[in-house]
This record gives sequence, C-alpha cells and structure tokens, in this order.
Amino acid sequence: MDTSLPARSRIRAPRRPGVWRQGWRRLRRNRTGMLGLTLVALVVLVAVFCPLLAPYNPDDQSAMMSFGASAPPAWSHIMGTDRLGYDIASRIVYGAPTALTVGVGAMLIASLIGVTIGGISGYAGGLADELLMRFTEFFLVIPVFLVILSVVRLFGIIVVGTWLESVPHLNLGTIIVLLGVFGWPPIARLTRAEFLRLRQLEFVEAARCIGARRRDILLRHILPNALPSIIVVVALGVGAAILSEAMISFLGFGDPNAVSWGQLLYFNYETLKVAPWASLAPGAAIFITVLGFNLLADGLSDAFNPRLRQ
Amino acid sequence: MTAPLLDVEALSIEFQTPSRKVRPVDGVDFAIGRNQTLGLVGESGSGKTMSSLGLLRLVPRPGRIVGGRIGFDGQDLLALSEPEMAALRGRRMAMVFQNPAYSLNPLLTIGRQLGEIVAWHERLGRADAEARVADLLGLVGIADPGARLRQFPHELSGGMKQRVCIARALLCDPWLILADEPTTNLDVTIQAQILDLLRSLKERLHTAMLLVTHDMGVVARMADRITVMYAGRVCETADARTIFRAPLHPYTIALLESVPRADRAYDRGRRETLPVIGGRLPDMTHPPAGCRFHPRCPEAIAECSRVLPLATPVAPGHVVSCIRRGSASIPVAA
Repeated sequence: MDTSLPARSRIRAPRRPGVWRQGWRRLRRNRTGMLGLTLVALVVLVAVFCPLLAPYNPDDQSAMMSFGASAPPAWSHIMGTDRLGYDIASRIVYGAPTALTVGVGAMLIASLIGVTIGGISGYAGGLADELLMRFTEFFLVIPVFLVILSVVRLFGIIVVGTWLESVPHLNLGTIIVLLGVFGWPPIARLTRAEFLRLRQLEFVEAARCIGARRRDILLRHILPNALPSIIVVVALGVGAAILSEAMISFLGFGDPNAVSWGQLLYFNYETLKVAPWASLAPGAAIFITVLGFNLLADGLSDAFNPRLRQ
Repeated sequence: MTAPLLDVEALSIEFQTPSRKVRPVDGVDFAIGRNQTLGLVGESGSGKTMSSLGLLRLVPRPGRIVGGRIGFDGQDLLALSEPEMAALRGRRMAMVFQNPAYSLNPLLTIGRQLGEIVAWHERLGRADAEARVADLLGLVGIADPGARLRQFPHELSGGMKQRVCIARALLCDPWLILADEPTTNLDVTIQAQILDLLRSLKERLHTAMLLVTHDMGVVARMADRITVMYAGRVCETADARTIFRAPLHPYTIALLESVPRADRAYDRGRRETLPVIGGRLPDMTHPPAGCRFHPRCPEAIAECSRVLPLATPVAPGHVVSCIRRGSASIPVAA
C-alpha cells in the first residue's frame, strides 16, 4: 500500500508511562507523600498482623489482679495499663483494624453515593444538576456531628429487644453508615466538576459520535479519567472519618464491644494526671493515622495534578 | 441521476440561551452522492462543524436542530428514534476528529477502545472484534497492528493516532465518513500521508465522505464537489473543478484569492500583497440582514441588504446564492 509507513518508524518507541505510572513516579519523589504512605502502611500492617503483635488479648483485664491498674510502662506491659486493667499496647494494636474499618467503610459508602450523585449531576446537567447540587448543599449545612450522636443514641435504644440487638458491632456499623451517608458531599462536588470537564473532551465526543452507549461513555470513558482526582478526596476523607469516630467514641457514644482509640481516651482521660500514658498512647495513634492519610492525600494530589502546585 | 446518499435540505441549528438566540447553521443545503467526496469549506465559525455534528444529531446543548431534513439512504434522520440513531452512528456514518491527541481515551488500549465499538455494533465476541481492529489498523498503514492493540494512545505519535482514529471510523464499513478538519493539527508531511490514506481508503471501500475544512489546498486535492459556507449559510455549491476555475460567488472568489501561492512573493509594497477579505465574520447574534456577506463584499449594492438571496442553479450542478449572479431572492421581512 502506497501509504504504508517508512521502515524506520517500525522501531518501537520506548514505552511512555501512563497516568497511573506517572502519578506513582511523582509520588515516589514527593517527600510528604511518601511519609504519609509510610505512616498509612504502618497502620495497615499493624491492623493486619494485630493478633501477632499484641502481647495480650485486648479484653484481658487480669492485670487488675497482679500488675495493677493505671500502672506505668514496664517490660511486661510496654505501654503500661489503664484504669480498667487493660494492656494499653494491646488495645492500641487492636484499635488499628477498627480505625481502618471505620475510615475505609465510611468512605466506601460516601464514594458510592458521592460519585453517583456527582456523576449524574455533571453529565446530565440542566434541571437534574441544579436539583442534585442543591440537595448536596443541603447535606453540607447539616451539623453532622450532632445528628450522628443523636441517631447513634436513639438507634441504640430502639434496637433493644429486637433481633438487631444480636448483630455484632451494630453500634460501630451505625457510626460507619452515618459517617458515609453524611460524608459524600465533597466527593459529589468534585465528581461533578470532573464530569463536567471530561464530558466535553474530544474523546468523549468521539465515543458518542461512534455510537458508544451512554453506559460505556460514563463508566469506561469518563469515570476512569476522573478517578485520580476522586482518590485524593477519598484519602482525605478516610482520615477525617477516623478522626470523627474517635471523637464520637471519646464522647462515650462509641461501640462498647469494639476496641477503639477514641474510647480508650474516653475511659482514661480522667486519670490523665495519674496515668498520662493511658491517654497519650491512643492520642498518638490517632494523630499518626490521621496525619498519615492527610499527608498521603496531599502527596497524591501533587502526583496526579502536578500543575496545581507551582 | 440516482438519489444521493445524503441529502440535507434547509438544515437549521439554533442555540437558545435565556438572553440570546444564535443560529450557527441557517437553512443549509448540500448533498453527497455515493462514493463522492464533498468538501465543506468556510472560515472558522461559519457553521461547518456544527453542520456535521447536526448530521449525527449530536449538536451540543443548548443547541438543537430547529428545521430542515436530513435524508440519508432514503430515510429522514430527523424522524428516527434515539436508539435507531445510536445504531447508525459509527456504523453507517462515522466521524474522524480534528485533534487526534484528544480524541482517544488515554486510559484504554487501542484494542479495547476500538474493539468495543465493533463488539457492540456488529455483535461480535471480543476475540473476533480485536481481529477486526487489527485488520483495520493494517489497512490504515499501521505497522505491527498486533502490538499496537495493546498500546495506549500516549505511546503513539500524532500521525499514528490519526490513523487509529481513521481506523475507528472505518470499523463497521460506514457509508459516509465525516472528516472534520482531519489534518489541521498534524505536521505538513503527515498531512499529506493522511490525505492520501483517506483518498485511497475511500476508493477501496466505496465510501462517501464529507470533508470539513478551511484549507482550500486540502479540498482541491480531495473533493469531487465543494460547498462554500459563510456565516451559517451556503454561498455556492459546484464541482471542485468549477469552483477553482470559474467561481461565481464573490465570497468564493475572495477566498480563493486569499490563498497564498508558492510561486508569488508577497512583499508589501514591492511586488504584490496577499489579498485578504476585509472585515471579520459578523456577530452571529445580530447577523446582517439580507445576504450575510454584503458588509464585506466588494460587489455589494444597496439591494444586497434588503433581499435574501436564494440558492439558484446557474448551470447544471452549480448553485449560487448571490443576486449579482442572477440568484432569485425574497425581500427581507422588515
């Protein structure tokens, strides 16, 4: 064929990295991002290997009998014990999976709602967009914390005597669902912005001209290209959700059956002067985890949207 | 004469916003016979691209088609349901875009994004679809199509991407290819390759083509017939030969004169100056009354602003809308 390429261009060009690989490279060079990733990885590892790492069963209060409650750190209890005789190191280690479940679970729900609403809003436009965005703003102005506290308490009362009572960690589940249900507006707004931007790009129009179905346009052409930005807010949201759960538990509204850092603070803040280690350790754990997710989000944002920072 | 494949009559597209109303395409007629190439020529903003999107019924919001008829293979596209239209897009009528860099999804491999089109339109399995894609990549002159299938768009050069886009348009053997400025964003050497490719493919596959461009050189090379548009209206339609040898409409004449020629030196003051069309495109919210070209037309008379010239045949296959060339006209409603 007369239009075939000259032989020279048959030589394969070196593979240029795609969006994800490029982002990963930039993240690797980003000091804050890597610090965040390290902290998050640390928390995840602790959560995964908690039965191996924890020196005692988290519900073991036997220290009450021999070692003593509110005892300072020693070789047998490296972070000391709290006023209920729990080994603090074990409680901290077992708090990690709880914190991660809350953070990831809540953001999973929030992403599902947020991406759906934001996506429809951005792609459909017009009246649907207007209504959905007003709805989103309505959710933004709700004093979420108060709502969650009252719902958790009320739900805890309603449940008494029904089959729901036997569901394990029902209280924690309620908190996760509520954090998710009230945490989606930022995700929806960002998704909408991304869909608005991508909707009018040429490859989306090209897909439409070529007869692609709307489902394919949304799920295969627009959504994947919006993901890098969405991941940043989700990472930020995980940290925020963990912090919220800690606050709820600190106020005594947490799940009594779950091991949670916030609850540890709630149990021990009164003995702050006698046994500061019992409050400092969970505080430090919350700090490290939330800081890790925030730094990671910051690094991801730099990695995926390098033009923003200049 | 057999019925043309595509027959557009009085197509009008309107953009209505709360504050104003614009008609980028206002009563446009053109037709394309089978195996024919029609060059749609005009300045930026003259409504060329909007017309071609109108053919696919994909006018971006808030625009919509407000009038006319689009006959395609004997049926009126404006009367089809949306699913019928979706089945037609990419299958009977396919588009090649202006900017190959942006018209491929950066996150899907070539094989995936082309394969899904075939899979959907032709109800083929994934392996068969990919085989078809590989065939077409070979046809558009891409070396080693098997390996390209697994590559992402950013791994290809601009010319290569445009070849992929052309392959994408040809996947389902369309009857009509809409090529919207297919070479504008390419290097000159690649432009020539792509144009040759389009022409040879068109001949081999017996496809008709609508070539939208502002480049007179491109239409001269490619088109059988040419329609010249100005500010949303058609000025003149004729065979390519006639347009270049004996243009009638003053706008066509001015357009041809303003094409730089390599054999002349345009040096202000010394030899000759490149003729340009004075003025600019009219503000489309308030287009000039009567003939839209009259404010810039060297041959305009007072009458031009008072009557609307109608497309009138002056010779077989040669239609002009200009009262100075004997076109019929109707008075403008005051």
